[in-house]
Amino acid sequence: MAEGLAAVRSALMRKNLNVDANEWRNSVALTGHVSSWEQYMEAGYAAAGKGYEAVVNDLTVEGVVPFKPSMPEPQNPIDPDTYFDAVVIGGGVIGSAIARELTRWDITVALLEKENDLAMQTSSRNDGMVHPPFAVTPGSKKAHYNQRGNKMFAQTARELGVSLEWPGMLMLFSNPWQRAFLPAIWQRIKQNEVCGVEFWNRQRVFKMEPNITADQHGGVFLPDSGIVSPYQLTVAFGENAVQNGATVLLNTVVTGFQMEHNRITHVCTNRGLIQAGVVINAAGVWSDVVAGYANDRFFTIHGRKGTAAILDRKVGHTQRTILSQPRFASHSHTKGGGLVPTIDGNLLLGPTAVEVPEREDYSTNASALEFVFDHHLKLNKSLKRSDIITYFSGVRACTFEEDFVIKTSDYVANLVHAAGIQSPGLASSPAIAQDVALLAVKALAAVAGRAIQPNAAFDPCRKAPPDLRGMSLEERAALIRRNPSYGRIICRCECISEGEILNTIHSLVPVQSLDGIKRRARAGMGRCQGGFCTPLLLEIMAREQQINIAEICKSGGHSEIALQPTKNAAVDCASEGAGSAALALSAANNSRRQEDYNAG
Amino acid sequence: MPVKKQWDVVVIGAGPAGLAAAIAACDSGADVCIIEREKKPGGVLKQCIHDGFGLIRFGERLSGPEYAYRYHQMVSERGIPVISETYLLGITKNQTDGKFLLQMQNSADSIFILEARAVVAATGCRERTARQVFIHGDRPAGILTAGTAQYIVNIQGFLPTRRCVILGSGDIGLIMARRLTLEGAEVEGVYEIKPEPSGLTRNIQQCLTDFEIPLHLSATVLAVHGKRRVESVVIGKVDQSGQPITGTERTVPCDALILSVGLIPENEIIEPLGVEMDRKTGGPIVDQNMMTSLDGLFACGNAVHVNDLVDYVSESGQTAGKAAAAYANVQQQRGLLSERRTVSARRLINIQAAGNMHYIVPQRLDLAHHVGADDGADNCAAFYFRSRVRANSALLRISAGKTLLEERRYAVVRPPEMERITLNLADLNHICSPDWNDLPGQSRLIKAELVSVSEGGDSANDNG
Ligand SMILES: Cc1cc2nc3c(=O)[nH]c(=O)nc-3n(C[C@H](O)[C@H](O)[C@H](O)COP(=O)(O)OP(=O)(O)OC[C@H]3O[C@@H](n4cnc5c(N)ncnc54)[C@H](O)[C@@H]3O)c2cc1C
Ligand SMILES: Cc1cc2nc3c(=O)[nH]c(=O)nc-3n(C[C@H](O)[C@H](O)[C@H](O)COP(=O)(O)OP(=O)(O)OC[C@H]3O[C@@H](n4cnc5c(N)ncnc54)[C@H](O)[C@@H]3O)c2cc1C
Repeated sequence: MAEGLAAVRSALMRKNLNVDANEWRNSVALTGHVSSWEQYMEAGYAAAGKGYEAVVNDLTVEGVVPFKPSMPEPQNPIDPDTYFDAVVIGGGVIGSAIARELTRWDITVALLEKENDLAMQTSSRNDGMVHPPFAVTPGSKKAHYNQRGNKMFAQTARELGVSLEWPGMLMLFSNPWQRAFLPAIWQRIKQNEVCGVEFWNRQRVFKMEPNITADQHGGVFLPDSGIVSPYQLTVAFGENAVQNGATVLLNTVVTGFQMEHNRITHVCTNRGLIQAGVVINAAGVWSDVVAGYANDRFFTIHGRKGTAAILDRKVGHTQRTILSQPRFASHSHTKGGGLVPTIDGNLLLGPTAVEVPEREDYSTNASALEFVFDHHLKLNKSLKRSDIITYFSGVRACTFEEDFVIKTSDYVANLVHAAGIQSPGLASSPAIAQDVALLAVKALAAVAGRAIQPNAAFDPCRKAPPDLRGMSLEERAALIRRNPSYGRIICRCECISEGEILNTIHSLVPVQSLDGIKRRARAGMGRCQGGFCTPLLLEIMAREQQINIAEICKSGGHSEIALQPTKNAAVDCASEGAGSAALALSAANNSRRQEDYNAG
Repeated sequence: MPVKKQWDVVVIGAGPAGLAAAIAACDSGADVCIIEREKKPGGVLKQCIHDGFGLIRFGERLSGPEYAYRYHQMVSERGIPVISETYLLGITKNQTDGKFLLQMQNSADSIFILEARAVVAATGCRERTARQVFIHGDRPAGILTAGTAQYIVNIQGFLPTRRCVILGSGDIGLIMARRLTLEGAEVEGVYEIKPEPSGLTRNIQQCLTDFEIPLHLSATVLAVHGKRRVESVVIGKVDQSGQPITGTERTVPCDALILSVGLIPENEIIEPLGVEMDRKTGGPIVDQNMMTSLDGLFACGNAVHVNDLVDYVSESGQTAGKAAAAYANVQQQRGLLSERRTVSARRLINIQAAGNMHYIVPQRLDLAHHVGADDGADNCAAFYFRSRVRANSALLRISAGKTLLEERRYAVVRPPEMERITLNLADLNHICSPDWNDLPGQSRLIKAELVSVSEGGDSANDNG
């Protein structure tokens, strides 16, 4: 390995970085101090690919205080005798899919998530694309899992009752000379076994996508490109896991491990200790930190932020396929992004790719949005800026090797990593879960000294709530007759009924916040962005959970919407009718009706 | 799906526009019903518990609920059914008989179809959101529109803030600044990106000045900070083009950002019918009978353009209701004569907004049919317009070709204050003789022009 170290050191020197490199197990560890985040990144990449398994980047950066994960509010403690055969850390799409996969075995499974719902981090902040295995480096873990995951998606979605469509992706040539890349493209297609690819000339492109920009010179069509709701998929994995016996512990953050020899005995959480047979690290952007709790931090995660914008459903019909205009020549670390139809009929623009030191930095800024507009809006000429209804950011969990870390720890007998799952993590999730569950069961069998039996009662099919969008009018009418709450529309923009909202509140993984309802049922996701339905959702949640409106949060922590009752009771015209409300005196006189408000 | 019931006129929305439309349709002899997705009629007025409504209609200062109640009473007296908690899924128009089919959904009757000869869309408006004005930074709880804040305070009885910043000087924001202050919350200030407030002068005085709430013009919110709940916002001055001026940033600690940055007419339900829209108003293009480009489909109230006084909303509703009844009747009578004949074609002239005229509603005149709102002045049609700029001493000129139809001087026009005028159509009929249709396109136009003698003038700080 000494040669590797020399290579790393000279690469760092060439970049004029005053950084020390040393071997740590099979990795190379960087120490020292640099003046900017760019230098931190530069050093990490300079050290990667020099014969080591991974780079541990321990450089301190001028002005950057290391960020820590956000913590849940104090919770009730867990019974100290609690034991699970398998403890999965992280309720993103990866952890949730693994938890479900583990319930195929006759073991006890817990899924621990520090936020107050599943899919609160990267898994709810992405493009929702099931990528074809095209952009991934041949031979990488990414390529392997992307290929397998893509093929497994149809069945997985069917079993979970999650909508999935395959609009296909059209990669456009923006210059005639870009066609020179065709041989390289065909070679990639062969290497990665991308199926069904077609070359479309200019006319064919226009025929299929009449609203497309005139500034195109044909393109490559990849039919195995799908779209799915990433948060609904994650929750569906979680619900099916619970249905098969798993326990989901929300607001539960892992803060360390208790070890005996090279084995985790207890998982330390904000709610006390949990004994564990085997531990799975699916902690997303914090997966290196969690690995560090077991003294196994042999890789480093850096956050790469992506910003995307959502357009009104009104313009959803202007496009059929996923459109992208990749910069074939550049070595950018994004799949290129583009204009992606979403499963709910909107269009999504983006994402960007920007390195950020803070891993939970979901803020947006004008320049990222401008970038998205400049690059993607023009592809479809029927779109306008004013079609935007919202935008958001997510953070990819990247290693300097730019590949997934999927393995049993070399040093901790009962720890399995599913880390560094950046894009195409969603597309790869069913395959990653399959392998990680097998690794975990093997490790468990070894440490427990017993054979693990399959769970004979496992049911891969989720008991999914009715999907009203997919129903004919007759079916919907019949459903409303059986359960009238499906007839009462709460979210007017997206046409979401009270029944659909109740399903999220009474789910096997009950929703705890307005954002949770929004993601799972789409109430508040439309063009008014919850302006009209937020108060109604507050009322429904207060009623169902028998709590006060002022206790209901937008997302986690103290994110209440209503802070305290007004001085006097409100004029309850909603329940009293306009007649009594007419008695209301003007606020200018500061005299109000004294009447008990009624939260229900 | 079987048709549940047939109506002459179905009114969508039981806000002030819809209630007025239904009353007028009923008084004109039509068999009419109102459909409303909320539990109670009154639309957005239910949450507007401040006063100032009805000065023109009733000569009184009423609160929103009182105003709505009066109209609801008139609806009840006439026995007009209000089908509430009922959601309109979609509308189609039958090409052969010209009738509308409305697909409805509610808890009691699941999904059913109503048939109507004429439809009045009185669907109101929604608020522009933080995302639509590109607010950046963190995304915590505590960013809400003034209307949502109004609902939470006035209907639910909760305070959504203890110390807030209000962005935008729209009327709802001004009203909420006062309301929150009265409830014991602190309003740090109202920030308006334009050099002029966008609310009514009377609201600036009564809601801000009287309560010593500062109004900052040419200033905006640059970023929001806060992990769970809003912790602060960054305020900055902007230059004439609306670009932030570096060095003027200031961080204001607060727990909420309340937005009053504009209203958008809601027409998503009628847009799929292919109705022509006006980009300036955000609503459908209508003629003086409030008929949209689609025969038999009428629109009124804030769905057509955002009004600043509810009295005008009711007026447009009344016109639409009366005209819809007339249309339905014509259609019915024709139907009796022969199934194939339809209403006689409209003879439409476009009205072009020129000069400083931002928009004018109606955007068209139908010379073949005129219903008229008030029985007394049947020849007259009401027009509403807004100026694009603030101007002292402005001149309104309405002309058809070389003929001047109307000329009027205004001491001051401001974009937030809508102006109303009436035109006598008898004159028009005379000018636009039957061979009008043979004229070339350009001359078949009425021009509504607003020219100003002095533009901009003294700045807006005379408002306080
Ligand atoms: C803008 C953007 C667009 C993307 N587009 C696509 C796409 O189109 N297709 C695709 O396939 N992929 C895409 N990706 C990548 C994809 O989103 C991720 O690969 C995937 O969501 C990763 O899932 P995960 O479960 O590993 O991570 P996460 O969803 O982040 O889950 C990790 C979870 O662990 C929890 N956690 C962390 N630490 C602890 C702890 N100590 N205790 C308890 N819980 C903890 C976190 O709260 C989090 O919920 C995109 C990513 C971004 C940012
Ligand atoms: C949040 C907000 C606050 C306001 N505050 C003030 C104020 O303080 N002072 C002031 O003077 N003006 C205020 N206005 C404006 C003023 O109230 C309006 O001029 C007036 O309410 C508009 O009346 P309308 O009938 O056109 O619309 P609305 O009052 O909005 O009524 C429309 C009705 O139609 C119903 N509807 C819409 N679509 C459907 C459908 N598809 N199916 C069934 N029903 C449907 C809606 O539920 C609603 O009840 C406010 C407007 C808003 C949006």
